[in-house]
Amino acid sequence: MNQWIAVGALGVVAVGIPLGMMAASSMLRPTVPEQGKSAIYESGEVPTGTARVQFNIQYYMVALLFVIFDVETVLIFPWTVIYRPALEEGVPLVTLLAPMLVFIGILVVGLVWAWRNGAVEWVASPRALKEKTES
Amino acid sequence: MIDLALQTVPGVADGLLPAAVLALTALLLFGIDTINPKEDSLALLCGISVGGSLLALALAGSLLAAGYEATPVYGDALMIDGTSLFFTLVFASVTALVSVASYDYLRDQDYCAEFYALVLFAATGMSLMAAANSLATAFVALELTSLPSYALVAFLKTDEGSVEAGLKYFLVGALASAVLVFGISLVYAATGAMTFSAIAEAMVGAGDVAGVLGLGVVMIAGGVAFKMAAVPFHFWAPEAYEGAPAPVSGFLSSASKAAGFALAFRIFVGAFPVEMAVPMGVDWVLVFQILAVGTMTLGNFAAATQENIKRMLAYSSVGHAGYALIGLAALSAGGPNGNVLGASMAHLFVYGFMNTGAFLFVAMAEHWGVGRTLEDYNGLAATAPVASVAMTVFMFSLAGLPPFGGFFSKYVLFYAAVESGFWWLAAVGAVNSALSLFYYSRVVKALWFEEATVPLEIGRRPVGLYVSVLAAALGTLILLPLFGPVVETAQTVAAALF
Repeated sequence: MNQWIAVGALGVVAVGIPLGMMAASSMLRPTVPEQGKSAIYESGEVPTGTARVQFNIQYYMVALLFVIFDVETVLIFPWTVIYRPALEEGVPLVTLLAPMLVFIGILVVGLVWAWRNGAVEWVASPRALKEKTES
Repeated sequence: MIDLALQTVPGVADGLLPAAVLALTALLLFGIDTINPKEDSLALLCGISVGGSLLALALAGSLLAAGYEATPVYGDALMIDGTSLFFTLVFASVTALVSVASYDYLRDQDYCAEFYALVLFAATGMSLMAAANSLATAFVALELTSLPSYALVAFLKTDEGSVEAGLKYFLVGALASAVLVFGISLVYAATGAMTFSAIAEAMVGAGDVAGVLGLGVVMIAGGVAFKMAAVPFHFWAPEAYEGAPAPVSGFLSSASKAAGFALAFRIFVGAFPVEMAVPMGVDWVLVFQILAVGTMTLGNFAAATQENIKRMLAYSSVGHAGYALIGLAALSAGGPNGNVLGASMAHLFVYGFMNTGAFLFVAMAEHWGVGRTLEDYNGLAATAPVASVAMTVFMFSLAGLPPFGGFFSKYVLFYAAVESGFWWLAAVGAVNSALSLFYYSRVVKALWFEEATVPLEIGRRPVGLYVSVLAAALGTLILLPLFGPVVETAQTVAAALF
């Protein structure tokens, strides 16, 4: 028997269970349509408008800088885990430390550049302020 | 013989110094821009990036001249050998040309430091692509090349054409990256290895999963075909080259294309050797034969119908990707593979000069406010004879007319293809070259023989553009006497790959 049959069976079951549950409940449950049921669920809040609002573009810069640090963490984390054991094994400090310092150094150059060029400055938009006070 | 893995600078293998210099130059540009973001001196920025790329050029050249030994470094992630150094030579020369030319182009732009830094980062990525020795490094290097390229194409961010071109390039590029990564994952699934030599070893036992492996190989071919702008992944090229600033078009169509080829040579020759892959049914040579014929024919026919110069050059660069693909398409088990691959590398080397030069001439015309169609070039030679002579050299060289560099590289390429028994590839190439003469000569005719419809007013003579166009023309001409050594070097380093 081909081992891939098991993978295919898993896929069939994974799709089948939710579909089966929805089908079973639609056959068993009574149908009582109410307005509250068809309204958008917003964590218990009453929805005030559509979800299609424009966000300030500056959130994009913040998100972009966040991703850089996020990836940085991913790479630093395993390094910190092996750091002490590697030192005890007799790996020279420079071999261990220098690559990470270079890596962080390059990121710092980028961050300082972005900072100086105003990437983290929150520019107040006159139009957005006006719209906020009016509504 | 010098040891490329030797570390004159601690932590950086000697063979990687050119790439390190390019990266450091880019960081230096960021540093300078950090000090005073609003009032950068364009001359200083330009000088630094030209200096950096020339230093990288000199380092790569001297390493190549001193003799070398193929050396894997950093746990087999990178392989430094003649091929990587040879291609670094191409990238560094194109970067230097483009940096000089951009001086005039950037005069009225903000964000000059970013422009140069992005060009240099892309060049770093390219030289790493040429040195990649594992699929993971190959992908990271490819992205390091691609991401700055997207930003560079969309550099004129208030210009609709530039932004549209950037978006199209980005979307097709993202698709191609996804295809490439999927291909890499399939190859890894079939062989359980990432480094090229380990994949080649694992292929012996991968006979029962040849289907998965073959699919992965085809997808990888698709991913690199995007970088080469080869059919069927060429759609982005005319759009991106037309909308992008002309120096960037030159950079992408020469250096970025050569980088795609460098990576393809590494992956296919290193990881899937012909004598093993083809008997298994993973016949990538056939894939590249189809791609080569399709790319040549489509590129040249489409170029012949264009009225817009930039689009014409874009399709011509698609056509040239087809010629260079012969290097992979004419491989066979036990054939003179080094010769044909080396000929393709030499063609990319010559192409780097003549094609960049042609795009820089277009940049100069844009600088003067000359329109973008062929008619707008009518009678340009009367006002700018020196630049027009250079453009004529590029056009004839691209067409492959003797006695220019392009003739010799094409001749050696077709000769090597015949020598390997693929006479029909050479025949298709020769027919296409003859066709290409038609549209290249139209440019020359417009420049020299047509009367200008509107009297041309040329204000300033842009120094940087003149210098770089003339340097590229000189490069195309100097390659005449130097062509023997170039081909020999290329064929020697290519033979070392097998």
